[in-house]
Amino acid sequence: MGTETSAERKQVPLKGARLRLGDSPALLGSRCPDCGEHFYPPRYVCLNCYREGLEEVPLSTRGELWTYTIARMALPGSLVTAPYVIAQVRLPEGVSVATVLSEVEPEAVRIGMPLELVVEKASTDSEGNDVMTFKFRPAPDGSSKDPS
Amino acid sequence: MGERVVILGVGLHPFGRHPEKSVGDLSRVAALAALKDAGVEFKDIQAGFCGHVVQGVGTGLRTFAEVGMTGIPITNVELACASSSRAAMLAADSIHGGLYDLAMVIGVEKMERGLLSGVGGAEGGYQSRMGIALMPALYAMMAQRHMHLYGTKHEHFAQVSVKSHRNGALNPNAQYQKALTLEDVLNSRMIADPITLYECSPTTDGASAVILASEKRARQYTNEPVFMDAWAGGTPQYRRGEPDEIEGPNELVAQQAYEQAGIGPDDVDVAQVHDAFSPGEVFLVEELGFCPKGEGGPFVWEGNTAIDGRIPINTDGGLLSRGHPIGATGGAMITELTLQLRGQAGPRQVPNAKTALMHNAGIGGVNVIAFKR
Repeated sequence: MGTETSAERKQVPLKGARLRLGDSPALLGSRCPDCGEHFYPPRYVCLNCYREGLEEVPLSTRGELWTYTIARMALPGSLVTAPYVIAQVRLPEGVSVATVLSEVEPEAVRIGMPLELVVEKASTDSEGNDVMTFKFRPAPDGSSKDPS
Repeated sequence: MGERVVILGVGLHPFGRHPEKSVGDLSRVAALAALKDAGVEFKDIQAGFCGHVVQGVGTGLRTFAEVGMTGIPITNVELACASSSRAAMLAADSIHGGLYDLAMVIGVEKMERGLLSGVGGAEGGYQSRMGIALMPALYAMMAQRHMHLYGTKHEHFAQVSVKSHRNGALNPNAQYQKALTLEDVLNSRMIADPITLYECSPTTDGASAVILASEKRARQYTNEPVFMDAWAGGTPQYRRGEPDEIEGPNELVAQQAYEQAGIGPDDVDVAQVHDAFSPGEVFLVEELGFCPKGEGGPFVWEGNTAIDGRIPINTDGGLLSRGHPIGATGGAMITELTLQLRGQAGPRQVPNAKTALMHNAGIGGVNVIAFKR
């Protein structure tokens, strides 16, 4: 472990999770320029029309709970402590995102509840940076917010 | 019309914990049992297919060499938890196409204790780090959705495991041979709501072997062949705006198998379905057409899938009680249905079973096979 000061400390996304950090955090997904289909995680070939080369776009930060479970155990090597809520969130773009819920009592989770993206520190890397991951938390009712 | 395919011989190494035995040991016991059951010598086998998932490079070569080295082509087949049923389908394809008269499938797995990981592939990836890639959680989320849409209750799912363990207690090859009460299942440790420990299939060591033959060749050995009458396979299809099918297109593949076999769900006398977790059977009685959509919970609860029920399912204990050595499971499903159709299932026998259906799934890959006698 090297020395670290808050000035040197950076935020980096969890490896593999396409995530925009900063003032307006968002999941970075793919959008097909031909048919408009969205994907998360991002991909190269459109599954709807087979176009190659999709564009990277920020996805809506609000969605609806499609389904969930309360995990009572965590796999070794994961960055979570049981119990925690695993969920599928449906975004207005039609994308389904697998995630973990934050800031909610597991017993209070209901299918259909509105959720919003939240970015949290998951761990610290070997260079002392904060490794950030995304979760979703309960959102006040209302229409989904536009990205960007 | 191609050659009709016969299941000529089946064999198992008992499922359970066998730390003292090698993959070769397990395979040899199953393979020799299947050869004896078929009345066939290994030198007559023309091709070998080995279903396994994590046993390493060359597993097919090593397991077949346990019973003979005759120079035949051997192919390893991996489709997660549906590997050996897919291996049997490839063997059947080659017999149906006239390439071989006699082929053999070995399915084998030795597994670590604890939860199966690696759902996200070898890279593991952010989903494993975030704690999302948890097998029971995937089934639990489908179960929560089913409860939300149809009012299915946890007791309905738990009853699957009660029935499974009752059947397992009648099967000397099962990993668990002890009946459980509904309270035992409901009160066991919660893993991922609503799935408790006793609603999860265990990790298992075991092997299965199946010998397939053309009808013409099979008639040299038996007057009462069990036919592998139709088989269909599939994987998830992307459909715009719809969430992924976690365990694959069960309904579609079943329809294809029914059509090819010229039967419908009402014709099936006994079935094997992929109950990796207890909700699996509730979903599948609907998807295979044994009851209307949304009624799987009450259908199972009322005993329709018990050995004396309308459509007996997983008479050998299923994945939940017989055990689930992932590469060997498909072959074990074929073994049980073959015994049922021959009338050799002992205390588990479904009276006068003539038509059987197998469903085996592996992370989206689906195999459905229809058998007749």
